[in-house]
Amino acid sequence: MIEQNVIVRNRAGLHTRPAAALVKLAAKFKSEIYLIRDGFAINAKSIIGVMTLAAEQGCELVLKIDGNDEETAVKELTELFESGFGEI
Amino acid sequence: MFGEKTSKIFPMTLLADKKTDKTESNEIVLKGIPSSPGMANGRAFVIMPELIIIPNILISVDNVPAEISRLETGLFMMIGEIQSALDKVKGDSQNISAILETNLLILNDEFFLDSIKERIKKGYTAESAVVQEYDEQIKFFKNSKDGILQERSFELEHLKDKLLATIRKKITNHEIPENSIIVAQSITPTDVVHFKELKVIGIITEAGGIASHSSMLARSFGIPAVIGVRDAHNLIQNNFDLIIDGYAGLITISPSDDFINSFKEKKSKEEDRKRELGELIKLNSETEDGIQIKLSANIDSPDDVKEAVLVGCEGIGLVRTENLVMSLKRFPDEEEQYKWYKEIADRAYPNPVVLRAFDIGSDKYLEGLPHIEQNPALGFRGIRFLLHREDIFANQLRAFLRASANKNLKIMLPMISSLNEIEHSKILLEKCKKELSDKNVPYDMKIPLGIMIETPSAALLADKFADAVDFFSIGTNDLTQYTLAVDRTNEFVTELYDTFHPSVLKLIKNVVDSAKWKKIPVSICGELAGHAAATGFLVGIGIDELSVPPGMLLELKKRIRELNYKRAKKKAREIINSNSSAELMKLLEII
Repeated sequence: MIEQNVIVRNRAGLHTRPAAALVKLAAKFKSEIYLIRDGFAINAKSIIGVMTLAAEQGCELVLKIDGNDEETAVKELTELFESGFGEI
Repeated sequence: MFGEKTSKIFPMTLLADKKTDKTESNEIVLKGIPSSPGMANGRAFVIMPELIIIPNILISVDNVPAEISRLETGLFMMIGEIQSALDKVKGDSQNISAILETNLLILNDEFFLDSIKERIKKGYTAESAVVQEYDEQIKFFKNSKDGILQERSFELEHLKDKLLATIRKKITNHEIPENSIIVAQSITPTDVVHFKELKVIGIITEAGGIASHSSMLARSFGIPAVIGVRDAHNLIQNNFDLIIDGYAGLITISPSDDFINSFKEKKSKEEDRKRELGELIKLNSETEDGIQIKLSANIDSPDDVKEAVLVGCEGIGLVRTENLVMSLKRFPDEEEQYKWYKEIADRAYPNPVVLRAFDIGSDKYLEGLPHIEQNPALGFRGIRFLLHREDIFANQLRAFLRASANKNLKIMLPMISSLNEIEHSKILLEKCKKELSDKNVPYDMKIPLGIMIETPSAALLADKFADAVDFFSIGTNDLTQYTLAVDRTNEFVTELYDTFHPSVLKLIKNVVDSAKWKKIPVSICGELAGHAAATGFLVGIGIDELSVPPGMLLELKKRIRELNYKRAKKKAREIINSNSSAELMKLLEII
């Protein structure tokens, strides 16, 4: 199991389009993937869950990944966060 | 209020009989939120909302599989419908597909689906389970402080209604005639795609949500839309003659002949203008070698947004809010200001809008201002006045913040010359934010704060100021008059007023360099931005954005498209290094 801190970098925050990009990427992996904000955990493969986080710019989240492909998953998901979902 | 007026509405057939009758009493105007620009005249097609009453009847365990299967069939059909809409828009922009794909992701969300199924297993019907689970999410979104998330609650609501209708197999395949104006309580993005297919010319909804996906789709398809029209589907009946004005957010029911004529005139003018401006509107604002220069508009009132949208601006680079003060001849209260700013924000959405705080001085005759100053330009104006009258400033900042919930506003401070002016303003802004947060009023917590660079002091200290703010906008008119010590209103020295003076250009260059170094955007909103001879120089020194009156925007775009950035950059360096004004003028003309 891996835990990794990530920061929402794009100005509009984790709104619909970045949320969709995140869910689509998470769905590619077999591992269980959770996003945690202030102790509140949601499944990163659920768009409703990700939207519920209402993560704004600058917000810090914890990625918690558990499974066989966790290494690749944490790498690609962190990159997605770092790139600001391509909309900085 | 509208209830009384309802009786005045007559269908067009009645109005037609009265053609000779000049009494123009049937015309009724409804106001909503302008959500997609454009105007249209046509017949109403009213989509009545289906009243679905879902009793929480418990079912027996035997019925659970059947209910789950009803839910899945409904979902399957709805997913199919969205998928077919998605296929239809394949050729259009990626934005449109992304919107529909998000709806698909929500319907396909297996965790969400599992929660609905859990409720069925507890003994509820498919409909009840959908209502319970969706409503719980909707409530959560609605209670959020995040404006965008609140808007998403409407979208979930629309999806829920559609899903319920589909489960009940009440698929609404309306026979919508061409050139109809749709009147509905709410619509989904998929509906908008179908409306486009059916050649709908306007959309009116009761539900709000300027940032909703349906609104965004209407804008990309160029279908005029007005949203948030209270009780529209009761006030408007099928076949009513309507004029929809998607710029101002107005709907005229049974317009008088005079009104129709003036509409036709406006509409044909708009079409002429579009034809005249032609392809330029759709083309990108970029140099021959692909450097993007953002083009924005300077405006004075909500009505000006229309012209700005028409010429395809990418944002409003300057709203001179003091115009509101001048038109009222007094300082407006917070509520008046909020409405004014919100209207501008909504009309420009999703494009960004820069609101400049009141730039007011003793050259304007107003209560609370000194009546006579020896030299108003060097006197008690702009940020100096605002920081002295914190009550007025705080009112304005709160109004700015309240209008910012959709995250397309930026705040700009006028006449900055010292860092402490920025710091004091920021303290006040934080105080206003806290007041709103305490009252749970939604606003953009990260609203960008920028400054006008219009004093030589600010231009020289730009590298320091860049650490304190999010963007710069250079006001070349004041910068020129302060740099050259020339009062531009004094006829004895106007000849000395020269925006192309080497000292002014050098200061501008310093500001742009500082902004680039500190990685903040820099724009020009003064007259120089629109000056034909300056375009090459400004692009050459690396300006990000030019903000001009809407009428000048397309000519400017044309000039930018003819420029070569690499050549302009080289030329700009020569201009900065030129020895004499004469040499400089010669260089400028060549660019």
